[in-house]
Amino acid sequence: MSTLGDLSVSLRDFAANVQTEGRSIALSLSGNADMAAKDSLDALLPRVHGEAQRLGVTEVQVDFQKLEFMNSSCFKSFVSWISDIGDLDPSKQYKIRLLSNPEMHWQRRSLHALRCFAVDLITVEP
Amino acid sequence: MTQTPTAFELTFRPNVELISIVRRFVSDFYERMITDADTVSRMALATHELLENAVKYASDGVTFLSITFEPGDVTSTVSIRLVNRANPEHIAAVATIFEEMSRHDDPFAHYQVAMARSAKRKVGSGLGLVRVRAEGEMTMSHSIEDDRVTILAQTTITARRSS
Repeated sequence: MSTLGDLSVSLRDFAANVQTEGRSIALSLSGNADMAAKDSLDALLPRVHGEAQRLGVTEVQVDFQKLEFMNSSCFKSFVSWISDIGDLDPSKQYKIRLLSNPEMHWQRRSLHALRCFAVDLITVEP
Repeated sequence: MTQTPTAFELTFRPNVELISIVRRFVSDFYERMITDADTVSRMALATHELLENAVKYASDGVTFLSITFEPGDVTSTVSIRLVNRANPEHIAAVATIFEEMSRHDDPFAHYQVAMARSAKRKVGSGLGLVRVRAEGEMTMSHSIEDDRVTILAQTTITARRSS
């Protein structure tokens, strides 16, 4: 597994790490995704989207398990990403698997909302 | 769950860092009084989103936040109130969101509509207040007096008396 260092984000209170292995991409988020993280996330997700298309992946895994909170602006970044996948030709679409932490109670509703936004593209675990 | 009414009020000039600090404080504070962690999480989310809304729209930068917890025999009520001054453009934007809420009885369905619209927006998300209603499971209301906007988010939780 290799880290795409130029796609990673490291802020004081928020971090994102992108790794690839073969034709799969794993994005892990940690910390606090508030207004301070918005610009970074807005820049990061389109690049992950581009990388996913370049590699021809069938799925991108997004690990929320260490993410304490995500505000609506950062949530919107995910909505836009999912919308962009939905805009692709069906043969080029890939799925997103969201890994949640049941102890982070906000995640249950937020990730459920993302799943309902594109039930064919999104799965949530557990 | 505590049977003592609790409240706190804060008047300040919120900035990005303070909002998350206040959210964590709300979480820590009410975790000691409300046994239901999910309710506390919803309160924290609502506080965060409402404060960010105030940061964006407060014309003088000053925001008043109050959170009250009123325990009852059967149900308890949590109220989160934000007051700030805003310019006419932003007052109209808030009024539009609340008007839209009034046309959507189902908060989650409304949230999905707002998400679809938000996906292509270049500026702002337009999701904050809608998210508080849907994910926070809050009843939302607002009032406007001159240039002063008050937003009230409330939720009712089942009271469980401690033995």
